[in-house]
Amino acid sequence: MKEVDTDSNSHAACICPIYCIVPPHILKRIAEHGNANQKSWAFRTLAISEQARGQRQAVGLIAALATTSTGTKRRTVYDARNSSRLPGTIVRAEGGPKSKDPAVNEAYLGAGTTYDLYYKVFGRNSIDERGMRLDSTVHYGRDYDNAFWNGQQMVYGDGDGELFNRFTIAIDVIGHELTHGVTQYEAGLEYEDQPGALNESMSDVFGSLVKQYRRRQTAKNADWLIGKGLLASGVKGKALRSMKEPGTAYDDDLLGKDPQPGHMKDYVKTHDDNGGVHINSGIPNRAFYETAIRLGGYAWQKAGQIWYVALRDKLRPTSQFKDAAKATWMAARELYGNGSLELKAVQQGWSEVGIKV
Amino acid sequence: MKIDFTRSGGFAGMRSAVAIDTENLPSTESERLHRLVEEAGFFDLPAALKSTAPGGDRFQYRVKVEEGTRRKEIVADEAAVPERLRPLLDYLTGWARASQKRKTV
Repeated sequence: MKEVDTDSNSHAACICPIYCIVPPHILKRIAEHGNANQKSWAFRTLAISEQARGQRQAVGLIAALATTSTGTKRRTVYDARNSSRLPGTIVRAEGGPKSKDPAVNEAYLGAGTTYDLYYKVFGRNSIDERGMRLDSTVHYGRDYDNAFWNGQQMVYGDGDGELFNRFTIAIDVIGHELTHGVTQYEAGLEYEDQPGALNESMSDVFGSLVKQYRRRQTAKNADWLIGKGLLASGVKGKALRSMKEPGTAYDDDLLGKDPQPGHMKDYVKTHDDNGGVHINSGIPNRAFYETAIRLGGYAWQKAGQIWYVALRDKLRPTSQFKDAAKATWMAARELYGNGSLELKAVQQGWSEVGIKV
Repeated sequence: MKIDFTRSGGFAGMRSAVAIDTENLPSTESERLHRLVEEAGFFDLPAALKSTAPGGDRFQYRVKVEEGTRRKEIVADEAAVPERLRPLLDYLTGWARASQKRKTV
């Protein structure tokens, strides 16, 4: 149950982002009180939202029937063979033998570690909490400098070899993509402006935790870098982003300088990248780091737990940074109580980036 | 013909851009760009090609073309790029990459 969700229809508005902009309660008002044109538009939009919600429920039922017993990993890796057709040909299924192709094994192992972190640490059964299959496609496109989540599966490019290596090379990239799926099923953060930057930050936070969990690193020993190993040799940079020191991951003649801010005073206003979702994510990323480093030990145990509860129960599609600060504060209070060190660490973490809880 | 091209977003969140005036290009290149713009039906495209599917880390394109009295700017989500526009975007992505390289030489 979402704590701030008082409108049972609010999820429906987000199934289809085009209709997402106007929340259902306002649509209903327009349907009742608007002029003829507005009424017809509002009715149509409401009908589509309701329909989409019905579809999601139907899909949910089928998915539940197809789900194997709780806590079972079901990974499948496909090869697109340099085309852009998805998912491609199956090259490794759950329990199948190792491939000769490192990208296949990395996608398989990375999805496994991500599943384990979510299941063993946060008690979550896969992306949708119903044991959803973890499908990955490698060798997508030609020299494709990207990895993405398409709403259903993970997709990895090979990189061009000159600037970027293959995207499966860094396990946090895999955790990052899978977390886009978790966010889609939970907070449903819109992929634009501050909600979009929070969506990106959640993916970096849990992506980094997947890496730390795999290596059994404490907050102090972790490098807090995103995409280390992804930049080809010859590029001046250590990774794509730094959660500890946003803006310092790379500074290269060809790629330019890491544009991430680490404080609200440096928030970047831009039309590019859906309002800078991969840029301003540096601010909540650093708030997480500052919280985790204060709490010490393994970051997934306390800071990760707090952020996970916020993502699952508190955040909404249009949440802003200040809402995220409040959501994590509320989660910390629920988990550890008033006056706890954890609550204080969350407050200080956000304060470091210029956000008061 | 003048073209302004930007690709942003993607997992890396890196921006890559190029501005081209076909008058300064060899005729084969200029003809190729004119043909790609025509084949894309560029001036008939909607100004915003937004994807309705959920997802993350896809590229976002912004392209402005001026030719004579015609002038148009579009913003396109990678997931919503129509097949006929793809060759122009791929070609301009290559240009953006090449022009970044030239700056460093």
